[in-house]
Amino acid sequence: MMVLMPFTLAEPAAFPVLERIVFAGLAIASGALFWRRFGPILHRILQSRKDADFRLAPFGRRMWEFVSQVLCQSKVIRQRPLPGLAHAFVFWGFCAFALVTLNHCAVGLGVGFLSPDGFFGRFYFYFAAVFALACALGILGLFIRRFFVRPRWLGAKLSWESGFIAFLIFFLMVTYLAAFFVPGGSPAIAALWWLHTLTLLVFLPIIPHTKHLHLVLSPATVFLSRGSFSRIPPLAGDEDFGLVAGADLTRLVSLQAYSCVECGRCTEHCPAANTGKTLNPKEIILGLRSYLNEFGPASAEPLLGKHNPPIAPFQCTSCGSCEFQCPVGIEHLPILVGLRRGAVNTGAWEDDHGAKLFLTLERGSNALGLQTSERDKFIQKQQFPIFDGTQEYCLWLGCMGGYDPKGREIVADFASVMRYLGTSFGVLHKEKCTGDPVRRLGNDLLFQQLAEANLEALTQNKVKKIVTICPHCVRTIQEDWKEYGTPPEVEHHSEFMARHLSQLPKPSQQESIAYHDPCYLGRYRNVYAEPRAVVEHAGQLVEAERHGERSFCCGAGGGLAFLGEETGERVSHVRARELVATGAKTIGTACPFCNSMFRDALAASGGNAPQLLDIAQLTARSLPQQDAPSAS
Amino acid sequence: MKIVVAIKQVPERDAPVRIDAAGRWIEEADLQWALNESDAYALEEALQLKEQHGGEVIVLSAGPERVGSTIREALAKGADRAIHVDCDDLGQRDALAVARLLSAAIQPDSPDLVLTGLQSDDLGYGQTGVILAELLGLPHASLILHVEKSGSGITVKRELEEGWFQNIELPLPAALTIQSGGAKLRYATLMGIKRAKTKEIRRLTAAELGIAAQASITLDRIALPQKQKTTQILTGTAQETAAALVEKLKFEVRAL
Ligand code: SF4
Ligand code: SF4
Repeated sequence: MMVLMPFTLAEPAAFPVLERIVFAGLAIASGALFWRRFGPILHRILQSRKDADFRLAPFGRRMWEFVSQVLCQSKVIRQRPLPGLAHAFVFWGFCAFALVTLNHCAVGLGVGFLSPDGFFGRFYFYFAAVFALACALGILGLFIRRFFVRPRWLGAKLSWESGFIAFLIFFLMVTYLAAFFVPGGSPAIAALWWLHTLTLLVFLPIIPHTKHLHLVLSPATVFLSRGSFSRIPPLAGDEDFGLVAGADLTRLVSLQAYSCVECGRCTEHCPAANTGKTLNPKEIILGLRSYLNEFGPASAEPLLGKHNPPIAPFQCTSCGSCEFQCPVGIEHLPILVGLRRGAVNTGAWEDDHGAKLFLTLERGSNALGLQTSERDKFIQKQQFPIFDGTQEYCLWLGCMGGYDPKGREIVADFASVMRYLGTSFGVLHKEKCTGDPVRRLGNDLLFQQLAEANLEALTQNKVKKIVTICPHCVRTIQEDWKEYGTPPEVEHHSEFMARHLSQLPKPSQQESIAYHDPCYLGRYRNVYAEPRAVVEHAGQLVEAERHGERSFCCGAGGGLAFLGEETGERVSHVRARELVATGAKTIGTACPFCNSMFRDALAASGGNAPQLLDIAQLTARSLPQQDAPSAS
Repeated sequence: MKIVVAIKQVPERDAPVRIDAAGRWIEEADLQWALNESDAYALEEALQLKEQHGGEVIVLSAGPERVGSTIREALAKGADRAIHVDCDDLGQRDALAVARLLSAAIQPDSPDLVLTGLQSDDLGYGQTGVILAELLGLPHASLILHVEKSGSGITVKRELEEGWFQNIELPLPAALTIQSGGAKLRYATLMGIKRAKTKEIRRLTAAELGIAAQASITLDRIALPQKQKTTQILTGTAQETAAALVEKLKFEVRAL
C-alpha cells in the first residue's frame, strides 16, 4: 500500500521505564563529568583577584558587542571570511538546535513538548533542519581545512581531539537529519534517538577538556571585556605591581585565559611571531592557562618562568593585531603590558638597553637622551613661537619631532602647512617625553613622573588643544595620561590636514604613494580615512597587501625602538619589503617612528628604494616656496 | 658588611643654570635636581656588595630640605636607611668643612666601608671623599671602578691614565671614591619607591653634630663660562691635516 508519508521528523513515541532510567542515569553521569572538569575551572576564575576598575556600564556597549561578535559572529567572519562563515553556521546551528535538544532529552523522559504533528513543532523541526544541514556542511568544511589544508597558524601538530569533536558534531546533525527519512513506526527511530543522545552525552564532558570550552565561556568573555582597545588598568593599591604572580591574575585575565579557542588569529598577524621571536601571543594566553591549571590563582610562583618565557613579553611591539583579531574577546595588551609591569616595577627585568632608556628618562627629558638645549636650538632655528595661551594650537614636538633629524623635518614641514593655513600655534618651552615607551614597557613609576610633569606644564600654559605628528604621543596623551589628570584635546596632524585639504594646493603630477598605517593611528585610534585623504590629495594612493586594520607593524612600538637589535628577522625589513612590493614611487608614513624604522630598512635593502616621506612632507611639497628655515 | 654611601644632590645636567641677584650663588628656584653621577655609581657598587655579601647600606647626604628627594631615590634603589644632615649653607663650606660634617655623621655607625663619588658634578672639588677618609682615619683609594671582597679585606680596581688599571688590596674598614662607569646602574622601580616609604631617614643638624655654622669660605662672585666659538682651518696635505686634527682632538678638545 502506498501511503503518502508526511515528510517530517520521526520522534520515538514513549520509552519503556527502563530506558528512561538508563537515559536519566547517563545524562546525570555526563553532566557530572562535565562539572568535574568545569567546576574547578570556574572556581579558579572566580578565585582570581577582582578587577578593581571593572564597571558594567556602559551596558549598551556590552550588549552591542555581544550581539555583533557573539550572535552575529562579526569578528569571526570578518577576519577569516570563509572559515568564519563555516564557523558561524556551526554556531547558528547550535543555537537553533538548543530547543530541539531540550525537547530531545525531554522525549527521553517522556515529557517531550515539541511534536512533529503540532504546527510550531513541525515548523521548528524544519527550521532546525536547515541549520543542521548548514552546520554539518560548515563543520565538514572546517574539518577539511584543519586536516587537509592545514594553515600554519593552527600549529604543526594535528589536533585529533578537534577531529573527534568535528565528527561528533557532524554525527549529531546527521542523526537528526536522518530522522526525517525513516518511516513512522520503524525501529530505526529509537535507534537514531539513542545514537543522537549518546553523541550528545559524550560531547558534553569533552567540552571543558578542550578548546571547546569557548562554547561556554566566550560569550561571557566578549560581554565582560574591558571594551576599549589596549586598556591598561590602573594599578590597584600599594601592593599591585602588575602581573607578577598568580595572585595578581584578575578574574578577567583568568576568564580570558580559559576562553582561548586556539584559533591562532593572534599569532597569524603578530609581527614578533612572524619574524622568529620567542613571543607568540597565543602561547602567552595558553601559558597563563597552564599556569592556572598547575599553580592556581593564589600562587606566588612567578608568571614569567615555567609556562611563559620571561623574554617573550618584551618582544611585543604593542601593535595590537592580536587583540584586534581575537574572536573571543581576549585582550592581549593588558596582559602583555601587565607581565612587563610585573617584571619592571619589581626590578626583575634586567636589560641593558631598557635600563639605559629608564635612566635616561629618569634624569633627562627625552627618550633619545639628548640635551634639552638641542631642542631649544631647533625651535630657535625654525622660529617656532613659544606657546603663550593666545595661540589656537600647542604644537607638541615629541621626542622624535624635537630631537630626531628626520622627525624635525616632518615637524618643520607640518609647521609650514599650519603657517600656510594661517593657523596659530606655539610650542612649549619645556616638554618631556609623553612616557609612551616606558608606559608600554611597564615602568609605572617613570610613566607617572613624566605624565604628571607634562600635565602640570600644559595646565600652567593653559593649553586647550594639542596637535602632533606622532601617533604615540596622541595615544599616550589622550588615553594613558587620564590616570593622572585631565589632558587637553589632542589630534594627529593627519586629522588636522584632512580637515583643511580644500585649502591646500594640489600637485600637478600624480605620483603613486603607498601608505603605511601606523598601529597607533589605525588600530589604536581608528583613524584610517584621514591620512588616506591627505595622501590622495598629494598623489595616487596605493595600498599595500596588508593595510588598514590589518596593517603590519614597523617594529618600533612598545618601547622596542629603544631596545637594540632584534633576534630573528627585523620586523621593519619585512614591512618595508611589502611596501616596496607595491611598486609605488613613494612610501607615505604618518608616524616618525615608522619613518625612522623604514629609513633604516630601506637603506639596508640597497637598490633604488622608493622615497620615504611623511604625509606632512607630502603636503608641504606643494606649498608655494617660502623662505622657511631648513629643518635640522 | 656595613656600607655608608655619601651622596650629593646636584642640579640636573640639562638644567639651565642662572646666577642669582647677588651674584654669589646660582638661582635655585626652578632648578631640577638629581643625584650626582659618580655618587650613583658609588651607591650601585654598595648595593651590589650588599647583594653578594649581605649587610646594610646607609646613604648619607648633606643639604637643605630638597635633598630629601634624592635620598628617597637612593632608598628606592635599595639602600636600607638614610641620614640627612640638614643644612642650607653648603655653599659656604669648603671640602674640608663638608667632610667634617659627613665624618661626624658617619662616626657613630662605624661602617666597614665608606663610599663616595669621585667628585661632584656641580662644584667638582674632587676632595671631599678623600678628606673624609682622612678625618675618619681610614685607608683609602680613589678613582675606583670596582670593589670586590677578598678575605678580610677588599680588592679594588682603580683607573689610571690611558686605559691602564691598577688592582689594590685594602684592609677593612676603608674609604673609597668611586669613578663613573664601572657598573651598570639599576633603574628606579615602583616597588622600590613604595618600600622606601617605610625606611628610616634620620635628620641631623650641624649643631647636633657639634659643628658650628661657620663659613669656611666666602664666595665673592660666580660667573658663567664665556662661550667661545672659534673656527680654525687646517691646511696642508690630507695627511698633515689629519695628523693636526688628531693632535687637536687629543690635546685641545680631549675627545680622543
Ligand atoms: S601586540 Fe603585536 S607584537 Fe605584541 S603580541 Fe600582539 S600581535 Fe604580537
Ligand atoms: S588568543 Fe584569541 S586569537 Fe589568539 S588563539 Fe586564542 S582565541 Fe584565537
